[in-house]
Amino acid sequence: MSATPPDARPAGAVAADEPTASVPPSAMRSLRRFLSKPSGALSISMLLLFLMTGLFGPLFVDRPGGLGAEILRPPSLAHWFGTDDLGQDVFAQVVWGTRVSLTVAVAASAIAIVIGTALGLLGAYSRRADAWVTTVTDLMLSLPLLPLMIMVTALAGPSVTTLTFVIGLFSWPEVTRLIRSNGLVVVSMPYIDGARALGATGWRIVTREVLPAVVPLIVVSVLLTAARAVISEAGLSFLGLGDPDSWSWGRIILNAQRSGVISTAWWQTLFPSLAILLLVLSATVAGVRFNDSRDPRLKDR
Amino acid sequence: MAEFIARRAMRAILTIWIAVTVTFFLLRLLPGDPTLLVVEGDMTPEMQQALREQYGLDKPMMTQYWLYLSELVRGNLGTSFRQLQPVTDIIVSRLPWTALLAGSAFVLTILLGIPLGVYAAAHRGKRVDRVVQMFGITGHALFVPSIGILLLVVAGSWLGWFPIGGAIDPDTRGLDAYISLFHHLALPLLSLVVVQLGPYALTLRTNMLEVLGEDYIKSARGRGLSPQRTLWRHALRNAFLPALTLMGLQLGTLVGGAVLTETVFAYPGVGRLIYEAVGQLDYPLLQGAFIMLAVTVVVANLITDVVSMLLNPRIRA
Repeated sequence: MSATPPDARPAGAVAADEPTASVPPSAMRSLRRFLSKPSGALSISMLLLFLMTGLFGPLFVDRPGGLGAEILRPPSLAHWFGTDDLGQDVFAQVVWGTRVSLTVAVAASAIAIVIGTALGLLGAYSRRADAWVTTVTDLMLSLPLLPLMIMVTALAGPSVTTLTFVIGLFSWPEVTRLIRSNGLVVVSMPYIDGARALGATGWRIVTREVLPAVVPLIVVSVLLTAARAVISEAGLSFLGLGDPDSWSWGRIILNAQRSGVISTAWWQTLFPSLAILLLVLSATVAGVRFNDSRDPRLKDR
Repeated sequence: MAEFIARRAMRAILTIWIAVTVTFFLLRLLPGDPTLLVVEGDMTPEMQQALREQYGLDKPMMTQYWLYLSELVRGNLGTSFRQLQPVTDIIVSRLPWTALLAGSAFVLTILLGIPLGVYAAAHRGKRVDRVVQMFGITGHALFVPSIGILLLVVAGSWLGWFPIGGAIDPDTRGLDAYISLFHHLALPLLSLVVVQLGPYALTLRTNMLEVLGEDYIKSARGRGLSPQRTLWRHALRNAFLPALTLMGLQLGTLVGGAVLTETVFAYPGVGRLIYEAVGQLDYPLLQGAFIMLAVTVVVANLITDVVSMLLNPRIRA
């Protein structure tokens, strides 16, 4: 059981009460509470490990390419994750793929967050815009997005940039829904009426009062959207829509499938699969844990 | 009631129209002349011009749009670049397999997810509950092809329990054909259900916890009904409709998953068709596949809504 300070308030209220404090006193407490459970500490360590691998791994591991003499070798000391049907080192492919997965995840998530937050706040604040925002969001969410992304990526020409934009531009509806529903709660609070009574403009109320109150949710959204982006990127690369010039976890699995070795060379699909699982799981757990750590009522669940 | 159905049907048509319109203009605004992509190698300017005229690409964009819409309403999705057949015919021949796969996954996820979510909620904090919670969070991190390959390698190749590709053995007749059908369906279906089930059961568990706190549940317990009877008779009945609606919202994701599973298992549905069309750069086929899948999802969602309404006494009245 984690030690929760009795005076802990929801983060939204903190941000609203103390807009002048640069670092709210609850920030350190939140961080400590976040790390107080093994799931919090473990997920953050795992995310850092992936980040380090993506940033510095390619400096130590040669870029996979060409033909090797040792074909389809199982994992050994020389080849930790084995080799594929061209004799390339699967470990090197996974390390180089980490960089692409992280780049696409972070950049696509940033695009989706900016669009999603802007639309979500617009819907929460303006009742006239809300009808449009909700309709478009619901429509987007009801469409099969993977086939749509496949079609657009294929026509725009597969590249890391294309993947980033396509995933980012089709991932905002979930962010919008989350920010809008919580923004509605904030907008109905008395202090917003107070700001309006003092003559604040709509723009000022949204950017200075509502936005800070939903920042914690934006943090959660960043993690969850990035997690989904990793899955989308892997899916598109697995279908042959990855950047042909750079490695990606989905492409490694696709190569195994194309060369017909998935039943024999288990290492070629297992290790990229584990990388996807661990990265997405730690981002999801970190998001959920961050959300819970802000809410003292949830400490028993 | 008629008004409810009419409103939902209008909404469905609006969704499809927006999907079609957005894809049409998105594809025209993207850089690159589609005719350059039809055939690799050299093509004379005259051949290109003839091709543009054939696809109507020499006309103004709005004219192209109306042309496209009017053809679409008549069920014409254009001609495949590679197979030189109407896109509609190609997709319609594959669609039943995807509908079978995604439809079975839809039903099976509901049938397994409801008891799992209800049971976890009733045993809150116990081991079952914690397993469901863990499964629910892990589910978001599962990559469909990874699960598919795991099942294919272990249950298909190593143990040899299931076939590793295709949808049916063409030599079987009568009852054997049905057995062969389900035998081939098992692994692709299982990989979809494994990925969907956890998050679904977890959401139902949360809904159920709210239901269990409501007054009529307390009063049922107060009247002396056993916890078991209260749970399965009263609470479950009120959990079913939200559960159905929730699964309806997952249809788009489910179809996306089916595209990936079909690719792993060489299952002859629209998903496998998309994979092949990507390899051949067959754009009309990709566009047609998206539109047909969107229509399928929207219609299935409409059916889910109408079924929910027929089961819901509050709306039906």
